[in-house]
Amino acid sequence: MKITLAFLGLLAPVVPALAHHSFAAEYDSNKPVTISGTVSKVEWTNPHARFYIDVKDAGGKVTTWNFELASPNVLTRNGWRRNSLKVGDEVTVSGSMAKDGANLANARTVTLADGKKVFAGSANEGQ
Amino acid sequence: MKNFLGGAIAVLSAVAAFQLLGQAQQPTSPATGKDPALTPAQSTAPAGGSANADTKKGKGRGRGPARPQGPTPRLPDGHVDLSGVWNGGGPIGDVAQGLMQGETIEMTAEGKKIFESRESKDDPEANCLPTGIPRIAPYPWRIVQQANTHVFFLYEGNIHSFRQIFLNQSKHPDDPDPTWYGHSIGKWEGDTLVVDTIGFNDKFWFDFRGHPHSEQLHTIERYTRADLGTLENETTVIDPVMYAKPFKIKFTATLRPNEELMEYICQENQQDAQHLRGKAGLP
Repeated sequence: MKITLAFLGLLAPVVPALAHHSFAAEYDSNKPVTISGTVSKVEWTNPHARFYIDVKDAGGKVTTWNFELASPNVLTRNGWRRNSLKVGDEVTVSGSMAKDGANLANARTVTLADGKKVFAGSANEGQ
Repeated sequence: MKNFLGGAIAVLSAVAAFQLLGQAQQPTSPATGKDPALTPAQSTAPAGGSANADTKKGKGRGRGPARPQGPTPRLPDGHVDLSGVWNGGGPIGDVAQGLMQGETIEMTAEGKKIFESRESKDDPEANCLPTGIPRIAPYPWRIVQQANTHVFFLYEGNIHSFRQIFLNQSKHPDDPDPTWYGHSIGKWEGDTLVVDTIGFNDKFWFDFRGHPHSEQLHTIERYTRADLGTLENETTVIDPVMYAKPFKIKFTATLRPNEELMEYICQENQQDAQHLRGKAGLP
């Protein structure tokens, strides 16, 4: 398990808009983060679905990260289900970190241990 | 209103503006055969909410779902039938994006003071409160029309609420309590439904940027279903407290013929407002 914090200021910023709040006010698109860990909880709730992953450092200390997804309505319309991601799944998540320094990020891509991606695009694209 | 004090206005980069423009059109989800955004029309992320994430090279899906074609539907009494599930039709990021030709927004000193002091964390929408009028959330909404009596706007989000327009009333109450959607009376002018609304509270924002209004706000919306799939909304915004002169905006909603509204209880797991930082600005 690892945490990679990459600050790629040279990349063009991605400034997505969320449904009910400003993306730019909550997340820093210039602070991409990639984290691998074990899913400890999934919340299939509005206004955003969320999942939490536990990340263990070299010393054995566990840190929990909170990842925000789209709303369940949007995810459902794209073919995803509340059990598309399950507690215990090993995942690697890429996204943008919260501006306030919390262990919180917006999840852009979620990749399972077998390489399958969930919550990106639509469910039956065979990713 | 006066609770919202604080800095200046954030400006979105040209890159971001381009991205937002690019997100106005959305691909159809092959998973559902439906329109994924009904999805936050402007959303690119997070995962799964992304309109653009659904666009892959080589898929050949074009620019988005086709606007349904066909003649304007009518009720048996001859009036235009506005019913259907719609997406869009009002400002999201900046009300000025809908200004009609020759129109400008000129805030009063008080309007500017409030506008420039607003912070993202205080946006009522981010706090799961209604968007009022004319702001629209990027979720589908449904018009339910009862000939000669009521028109209802049912909003999926944000928030999961409704608005009612009285066709069976010819005037407003003398002193209505200030509310999020005000008191709306509607009448037909030819094929256009004209909705006159007063009695607003001053709590909602016109957009993410935080354009303000007072309880003196008066809106006149003109809804025209130009064809089966197109609902045009021209709104005159009148508020002498916050704006030196009225201004007119126009937005267009698109019919989503195979969609149904879904439950969306924003208050259930709202964790964002406490993490929002900085001045109000484009998404």
